[in-house]
Amino acid sequence: MTLKSEFLKRRNIQEALSGYLFMTPTLIVLGIFLVLPVLYAIVLAFHSVNLLGEVSYRFTGLKNFMRIQGDERVAIALKNTMQYVAIVVPIQTLLALGLALALNAKIKGRSLFRVAFFLPTVTSSAVLTLIFMWIYNSNGLLNNVLSFFSLPTYNWLGDPEVALRGIMIMNIWATAPLFMVIYLAALQDVPESLYEAASIDGATGWGKFWCITLPFLRPVTFFIVVMGIIGTFQLFDQSYIFSNGSGGPNNATLTIVLLIYQYAFKNLDMGYALALTLVLALVIMTVTIIQRQFFGEERLD
Amino acid sequence: MDLPLWRSQVRFGMKNWVSRWTCFGLFLLLFSCQLKSRNANAPIEITLSGWQSNPNESKLLASVINDFEIKHPNIKVKREVINSQYMDVIKTRLIGDVAPDVFYLEAFEAPMLMKSGVLEPLNAYITPSYDLADFEPSLLTAFQQNGKLYGVPKDFSTLALFYNTTAFQNAKLAQPPKTWAELTQHAKQLTVDTNRDGKPDRYGMGIAPELPRQLFMIQAFGGRLTDHNNYASFATPNAVKGLQLLVDQYRRDRTVAQPSDVGANSNSEAFGQGKIAMAIEGAWAIPYLKETFPDLKFAIAEVPTLNGKKGTMAFTVAYVMNRQSKHKDAAWKLIEFLTSKDGMKSWATEGLALPSRQSVAAALKYDRDPLYAPLATGATYATIWQSGETLPTVMTSFDNQFISALLGQQPLKDAMKKAQDTANREIYWSN
Repeated sequence: MTLKSEFLKRRNIQEALSGYLFMTPTLIVLGIFLVLPVLYAIVLAFHSVNLLGEVSYRFTGLKNFMRIQGDERVAIALKNTMQYVAIVVPIQTLLALGLALALNAKIKGRSLFRVAFFLPTVTSSAVLTLIFMWIYNSNGLLNNVLSFFSLPTYNWLGDPEVALRGIMIMNIWATAPLFMVIYLAALQDVPESLYEAASIDGATGWGKFWCITLPFLRPVTFFIVVMGIIGTFQLFDQSYIFSNGSGGPNNATLTIVLLIYQYAFKNLDMGYALALTLVLALVIMTVTIIQRQFFGEERLD
Repeated sequence: MDLPLWRSQVRFGMKNWVSRWTCFGLFLLLFSCQLKSRNANAPIEITLSGWQSNPNESKLLASVINDFEIKHPNIKVKREVINSQYMDVIKTRLIGDVAPDVFYLEAFEAPMLMKSGVLEPLNAYITPSYDLADFEPSLLTAFQQNGKLYGVPKDFSTLALFYNTTAFQNAKLAQPPKTWAELTQHAKQLTVDTNRDGKPDRYGMGIAPELPRQLFMIQAFGGRLTDHNNYASFATPNAVKGLQLLVDQYRRDRTVAQPSDVGANSNSEAFGQGKIAMAIEGAWAIPYLKETFPDLKFAIAEVPTLNGKKGTMAFTVAYVMNRQSKHKDAAWKLIEFLTSKDGMKSWATEGLALPSRQSVAAALKYDRDPLYAPLATGATYATIWQSGETLPTVMTSFDNQFISALLGQQPLKDAMKKAQDTANREIYWSN
């Protein structure tokens, strides 16, 4: 008996060893390019780093984090980013769901619509932003359409009141289709028999949607909302191109990641930029945890 | 030897095989050594990085470099154009020790790089025959720190008032404005709303709400951008006074416009399209306007006086050498060639900027060209766009708040106070 368990134990160790051996290349690559930078970032966030010329590190304790408190641009960037997340994530999720439901219905030319809807996602965001900047031009398409319907027109690129809205519209339009495809795939998985049974019990179309489709899509929705939140919190390229890297007009398009970029590469204040990065990571983690509570302990499987 | 014959043969064969490979290896080694020694005479390559304003400029520079390579056959110049976020790229490369040997540097970024010691001081390379005294002294000062010269100005430009002569004729204006009061008046007369939709179709003047363009407005009434410790100090009544004129024109008179108000990317584009009748621009706009808007009729005058004094901005760019460069002598030869009297002459004919050597400017008669004369005259009283190493921080903060005052979100006085406080807090923390 003891001999057998001994044998099993040894075999287990051996199996584990060979398992790790197989994983070594991946572990090394991930370690060097993922774990090490993360640890390094955490360490450097407590230092004052000078990179240009004489490289030097000076331990400054919590100074970088204290600086965040009084930095009004951080507050503005946080506010902008929060506002952006709060508006973009619900709209793009609902839009994705709506599009997916429409495409799941038996309509003619379904695949054509699928391709057409998906196109914005495969286009590079830099190109999209440039195209949208033409649309948003004071004499551009959007203002012409608005004035045709006698609606007020805006200086989309120059007016701080609306500049962020412009990026929101652009991003919703560009990312909703990606999530639509995920919803669509999930919708195909809903067993037909459930709907049949519901129909026999006399359920209406709405009833079926609320009681079968939506609950079935819950794990996917969780995934989509998490991905949406992470993606929107990390908004960078659109506002970078929009404002030529400044976050203007009047900080209206300044996001956290853009601010981090400015501190890291314009001011070369690496320590402070890394402290901000940690704060951003903390914010995203908190939001995700809150959301997990909201959606319950359900898992994706 | 009771080994079977075949075994010894194999062993012999193996030995043979090993020795053959050894021979081959040795041969390779010798050959490569020889290659290396031959390489000593092969051309060395140095990199020159900069931005490019237009294809013509690029062609001119290429031909000057070609002349250089003919004169110095053992030096090859690799050109590299960085057009987007130039300074971010250069700084990152300097940190990573992969920076170019020679690169462009704008005066306003110079203090920081000079202080951090990544630039090679050029004093030791300069010979009397190079004639350093020929350069405009104020431009040289921009690249000096503690008695050391870190860059040779390649060219410069001031700002001057561009005005649309057709629009002036239509408004029955004979002369360009001489004072800012006249300019304000002219701008009113030049603002027209042909389709009467309440939004002017042509504004009197364009405005670039950025610190590089507005610094002389701050100084016009005795204001100062920064104090002697490089902290921002522009929230004084004197500094605000000049800027207030612009805000009034924008908000009260509604006779000036930003480029984005009229759907343009820049003031020169808006000016070329006829959406603004006046613009305060630099020499670079002249070739652009001539090429892109050949039908446009325009003239140039000095910037109108403010508070009875003349004032304008000057922008200059220098060639600097990377301290980590492996071929410093070759790098200096390139700088020397590009900024020599002949090199500068062939380069400055493009008209994007004015030559920084006085003798070249005189030889090319820029002071007698009707378009360039106001720009050349401006050099005598211009403020060079440069301050301490805190300038980028001060600028970001100023730009953000100035535009909000311009758009009427807050009074200019409060905006400037806020901008100054934000900038100074950031400067304090980063020290």
